[in-house]
Amino acid sequence: MYHLATVSPFVKRVRIPITRDQAMLLMLALNELLLGLETYLAHSISGTIMPKEWIPIIFGPVAGIFLLIAGLLALRKRNLAAVIATIIYLASTVVGLLGVYFHFIRAVLPYATLGEMISIPLFVWAPPILGPLTFALVGLMGISAVWLEEPPDSGRLTLMGGRKLQMPFSKTNAFFFMVGLGTLATVISSVLDHARTHFENPWLWLPTGIGIFATIVAVLLGALENPRRGDLITYVVAMVLLILVGMLGVLLHIQRNLVMENAIVVERFVRGAPFLAPMLFADMGALGLIILLDPKERGEEKPDIENITANL
Amino acid sequence: MDQSSKPFSKYRTLIIGLVVVVVILGVTLIIWAIGQAGTTVDLEAVDVLANSSDECVTCHREVSPGIVDQFSHSSMAAAEVTCRDCHEVGADYPGAVEHEGDTILAEPTPAKCEKCHEAEVAQYYQSRHSLPAWVAVAGSGDLSPNHLAMYQAIPEGSFAPDKARNAIAAIEGPVLTPFTCESCHSIGEPMPDESVGRCQKCHIRHSFSLEQARKPETCNNCHIGPDHPQWEIYQESAHGIQYATMGSNWNWEAEAGNLSVVDFPAPTCALCHMSGFGTTGTTHDVGDRLSWYLFASISQQRPSWQDNRTRMHSICFECHNENFIKDLYAGADAATQQINDYVQASNDLIAPLQDQKLLTSEPFDEPIDFTYFDLWHYWGRTSKFGMWMQGPDYSQWHGVYPLLETMADLEEMVNDKLQAAGATP
Repeated sequence: MYHLATVSPFVKRVRIPITRDQAMLLMLALNELLLGLETYLAHSISGTIMPKEWIPIIFGPVAGIFLLIAGLLALRKRNLAAVIATIIYLASTVVGLLGVYFHFIRAVLPYATLGEMISIPLFVWAPPILGPLTFALVGLMGISAVWLEEPPDSGRLTLMGGRKLQMPFSKTNAFFFMVGLGTLATVISSVLDHARTHFENPWLWLPTGIGIFATIVAVLLGALENPRRGDLITYVVAMVLLILVGMLGVLLHIQRNLVMENAIVVERFVRGAPFLAPMLFADMGALGLIILLDPKERGEEKPDIENITANL
Repeated sequence: MDQSSKPFSKYRTLIIGLVVVVVILGVTLIIWAIGQAGTTVDLEAVDVLANSSDECVTCHREVSPGIVDQFSHSSMAAAEVTCRDCHEVGADYPGAVEHEGDTILAEPTPAKCEKCHEAEVAQYYQSRHSLPAWVAVAGSGDLSPNHLAMYQAIPEGSFAPDKARNAIAAIEGPVLTPFTCESCHSIGEPMPDESVGRCQKCHIRHSFSLEQARKPETCNNCHIGPDHPQWEIYQESAHGIQYATMGSNWNWEAEAGNLSVVDFPAPTCALCHMSGFGTTGTTHDVGDRLSWYLFASISQQRPSWQDNRTRMHSICFECHNENFIKDLYAGADAATQQINDYVQASNDLIAPLQDQKLLTSEPFDEPIDFTYFDLWHYWGRTSKFGMWMQGPDYSQWHGVYPLLETMADLEEMVNDKLQAAGATP
């Protein structure tokens, strides 16, 4: 279902040069590139990047470039491109889950007494446990976007060798769930990070409130079989708010890192408020809006028989 | 709905249920985290190794429980650094000793520290705390070619290298110096594995507390006493008074490289000389913001002193206005020059004795040697330190006044010697 056209019928008249899945894959390739940069900055905080900390830093740009190549390859050899992209997205999922594990074990004290092994302040102090999950989310969304759904919104995927797999939800609904859960992970990371500042700054309530709102709206939309126009408008508002929160967050983080007379000190941008991190909110918002594009593949457009016969 | 065509359809409710559970748990975690936002992690209260079965931990709990207790309450242990990470080395590692079937370094060197703290060790190697501190008492004669090259690349190393050696250390000899000069100057001692120095002089084992390293009492371990009374000067300065009266409320565990006046409303030694504060980045090169070689008998401006000064000014700017800083620096530059003039006048005083070979060739074997040494090494340096760090009592009554008094004594001693030798004063 072309949800964006339901929200605004005008867009039906606009010819978008790429399909929804292509737009999604392009966005996810960009995500991999930026995740590499963001991870590099985050892992530079201690001044020394340890060997295993290089994994996501190297993986991000390499994956991004390979995905862009796969995108070009798809114009001629779609199946090969799909295989390459699937491998990269699977690897991205593994990198993300490994990162969650490495961050998680820093947040627990395995040899401490039972009551002291895990505590919220430790999660605040440790590296962000859900941060690396972004790699896994990108991987999961990428795998979902790579394989054709025929017919659109059926949940019936065409895998390698023409094999079919019937999923419990349509791609569109699955994407809604993923954006919902991705937004939740983003909000939790932001809350744990902002807890270091004791939530004294009222601006910090903005990403928290809007993030929870967007999470619930996206998840609810995923559970709905046939959302109404009002539901979709609420969803669009939530996603746009996420984008605005992300952009505002970048500005506020940059402002926070500037010192007197707005001087830029590189160290403060590395060790201070992470200026790229709020873009995760905007990222979720943008991915969320892409879901609303027409799920049909090129060449699937069939003549509108009812309209034609009515006009005869 | 035709269930057979959608084999996974029966899982729809389960998936929606799981997603809802994750969302509810996530939102609960958010609310919980916000509720505890004011709680800082008190790692010192947690025994991170309480249930550890590691051999090092269990054995040393019996034989030296103090170090296990310090380490098990440290952020290093919480970050999963183990005893072996710092102590264990291969059998052929320089300085390795056999220990309960393993080979270890009894005292880990900066080569071990730099595995995780690469930038900090590199900055430290470029500083006065590195080889220049050691050469000041031991000379550069025993340095390996690598260490000599490293020493000469350090600003203090390029400044009159071999003249820096203090003859007092040679006279006192190896029995006394470990308890005297070397105790502090070993901060820059060359290590058998070709690394240099001792990080643990400032980051005391085994608690490795950020607060401890940041507090001025840590610097007080060496920067005290008549030859470099920075601790005493700091205490009497406005900065030190603020620390003494209000320092208990400062944010000693604040994130490094990101400090502001909110964390530290007044400076400490580390804040001015090392911390990332104002528009200046963090450094472990303690000379990176200094304008003069104040330690020398006659001070000269350091190489790149203008850049260093700009960095220090940016620290001052966080609290002081431009006129205040410019006036202070102009005044202290002139005052440093005047102390230089006094020391030069003292040099001129004793020059006839040197010219006429009326001084013995051995250092510190007659009273005039001690008098001359006191003049610049105690009073001259204390005057300069007091002026730059704004400790007026030390500039005056522990600095300029005894310097002038000693000059008068020196003049009398020179005249006596010249008269005794039948020369014209």
